[in-house]
Parts: sequence; C-alpha cells; structure tokens
Amino acid sequence: MSQTAQIRQAARELLQGKAVECVIGYERGTDGVNARPFFAYEAAEADRLIFDQTCTHDLAKYLLNRKGKSTAIVVKPCDSRAINLLLNESQIQRDKLHIIGVVCPGVVERRWGTPGAKQLNACQVCQQHTPVVYDTLVGQPVSEPAVADPYPDVAGMEAKPADERRTFWEEQFSRCLRCYACRQACPGCYCPECFAERLDPLWVGIRIAPGENEVWNTMRAFHLAGRCIGCYQCEQVCPVNIRLSLLNRKLEKDVLGMFHFQAGMDAESPPPFSTYQKDEKLGIGE
Amino acid sequence: MAIDFEPRIVGFLCNWCSYAGADMAGTARICYPSNIRVIRVPCSARIDPLLVVKAFQLGADGVLVAGCHPGDCHYTEGNYYSRRRFALLYPFLEYLGIEKGRLRLEWVSASEGRKFSHVVSSFTEGLVSLGPREKVPAEGALP
Repeated sequence: MSQTAQIRQAARELLQGKAVECVIGYERGTDGVNARPFFAYEAAEADRLIFDQTCTHDLAKYLLNRKGKSTAIVVKPCDSRAINLLLNESQIQRDKLHIIGVVCPGVVERRWGTPGAKQLNACQVCQQHTPVVYDTLVGQPVSEPAVADPYPDVAGMEAKPADERRTFWEEQFSRCLRCYACRQACPGCYCPECFAERLDPLWVGIRIAPGENEVWNTMRAFHLAGRCIGCYQCEQVCPVNIRLSLLNRKLEKDVLGMFHFQAGMDAESPPPFSTYQKDEKLGIGE
Repeated sequence: MAIDFEPRIVGFLCNWCSYAGADMAGTARICYPSNIRVIRVPCSARIDPLLVVKAFQLGADGVLVAGCHPGDCHYTEGNYYSRRRFALLYPFLEYLGIEKGRLRLEWVSASEGRKFSHVVSSFTEGLVSLGPREKVPAEGALP
C-alpha cells in the first residue's frame, strides 16, 4: 500500500471514530503539481490527502492554532522534531495529538507549475529519515545513512576570509524585504509579540535599510539557536532567496559541538540555554 | 587606517561586580581609556545578544560584556547562562564577518579595579589595531 493510501486510511479511521476533530495533511495544489496544506474535518475528505516528494511544508506550525483541540497531523521526520520542540516548550499537548509519521526520502524544491527535480539542500545531508515521534508510522523505517560531513556548506563559509564573509552577508541582507515570511513559516517562531514589531523600544527600525535588515536576520537566527529543527521552511518561503539555512546551520553545528544538543530529538532534554554546567569550559571569559 | 582612530566601545557592566569594579578603578585613581561608554545592567544575564547586535548596528567598534566571576553571581546563576549565550554568539558574529576581537566577555569582580582598567586598555588597543568597522550605516548611527 502506498504512503498516500496508508495516510488516507489512518485519517479516515481517526475521523470516523471521532478520535480527532481534524487531520492536518497535504493535498494536491491548484497547479496540479505541488502540494499544499489541507485540513480534513470529515471522513469523506480523507481521500484528498496525499504524500509525495512535493510535500515540503512543515505542518507542525499549524498546531499552534489548534491548542487544546484534538488534532491528527502528518509529519515528516524534520516536522516530527518540531513537534518535540513545541512539546518541550509546553506549547502543545501530547494527549490531544495523534501523530502520523511518514518515512521520508527527502523532498524537492517548490516551483509553481513544474515538478521540482532538485532535492532540498537540507534533505541532501539529512540524517533522520524516520520520524522521532509518532503514533502511526507510514512506510518502512530505514537505516539512517552515515553522513561523514553534515555541514559542508557551513564549513565552506567559515573557511572564507572575514571581509569576504562580511561582503557576502551584506549582499544577502540588502535584498531582505522584511516581509517576515521566514518567521511566519517557522514552527519555532511563535512569540505573541515579535521583537521586530515592538515599537518601544524600537529594536528593529521600520525602514528597510541594511543595518535594520542585519539586526533582524541576525536575531531571527539567534532566537532559533538550539531550537532550529532543520526543516528550512524559512529558506523555502524567502521571496528573495536569502541563504537563511547557512545561518541556522552554523548555530546548529556550534550547539552540537559545544553542548552536544540537537533540537527536537526528544521532548524532555532541557534546551542548551535553559541549563548550564558550573565547570564547563567554553573558551570565553577564562 | 587613521592614526588618531579612537574606537567607540559600548560596555555592558553588571551592577553587582563589574560596575562596582569600574567604580573601584575610579576611586583608586587607576586610569583607563575613555573610549568605553558604560551601561549598567542588573546582571550579565540581562544582556540579550540583541543589545550587542544593536550596538554594532549603531556604530560601536567594540562591545564589552562584563559580569561577576562564575560562582559569584548575585542572582546565583545568571552568569552561567550568559556564558553559554556568548560562547555561541562569538563564533556567530565572526561568521557574519564581525571580527572576533570586537566582542569581549570578561569576569570583573567589585575589587578588581586594576583588572577592569587592564581589560579596557587591552580591548581598546586591540580595536585600534583592528581599525574602524568597515561599514557603519549612515542613517541612525551614533553621533
């Protein structure tokens, strides 16, 4: 049975048995090629659900709008880490949630009207093809490939001289429109009031200027330090193609190296910034 | 690089140790460069990385963060948290092209007036050799 058929069956059973009010999954988009998020409330709607390599969205973000309501959700492995993140931060309730985990071989870049051929950068170095948390598993668990160097892009960037890096980021940030699509798509960005929208104090000026853009992009990434689960929705939705994953992955790499922590692998480990060890040597202030 | 370059340093000092340490340097008549502009904060853990990034945006050449020695925090554990935070911010700012020598985290206790003077002097010297930051946004910059 295909993954799509298995998801449909699971969703139909859940909705028929009134186990959940809603199943969040994917359906075919209006261009006939790509996928879009779909909320099934009736058992009859379950047949609209699909899963294939065009299902790029991180649906975990939608759980934040369904707090306290019984919901089933279709998740890829990276999205399942987002669920652990939200559980860890007490944003959602596990007992209201039925997780349909999908074994994912990787997804492709979205392009309107044409089938995507190129796998996402993140998927090319993915080390998690089976969801880390699920109630129903769709597909056969695969053995995880050993990726020798999961951060080749970050290492390449680090190797460049400082002024080259500065020029690179200045150019990247100069394109930023501050549409905040990166924030809206991110399952980890859920503050009721974002620092970028505070008027007093005005941390990030309204003006779309290089300095303001830099503060926004630096702090957006840093607020996700030790929290980014690597779905790279931010980079997917960026209308001007800023390499946001290069920022997130740098922090991911350093958090792993310094604190041996990976976000969202379980729902219990304390995040690196809410804990400490008295005698740890971090190479600063010593 | 202009020879008479005077770097602008924004110093975030914790109220309980480092600010008192700077005060000690003053009462003991220990000289230190006037390049530093001190901002007193309740604890080094109060210093959100946003404050540092914002200082750089507004044209600071260097940012000094100083707090109590580990184990001496007035709030028991604040500086342990800031240590972790800045350990990650250092390489991240460097990655963005802000040289490592422009941000400094130091532990200065209330009795260490001499250490405070030494920290500010050596930090200023380091910044003079680094030179001014290449691009300071023209609008909204510090006067």
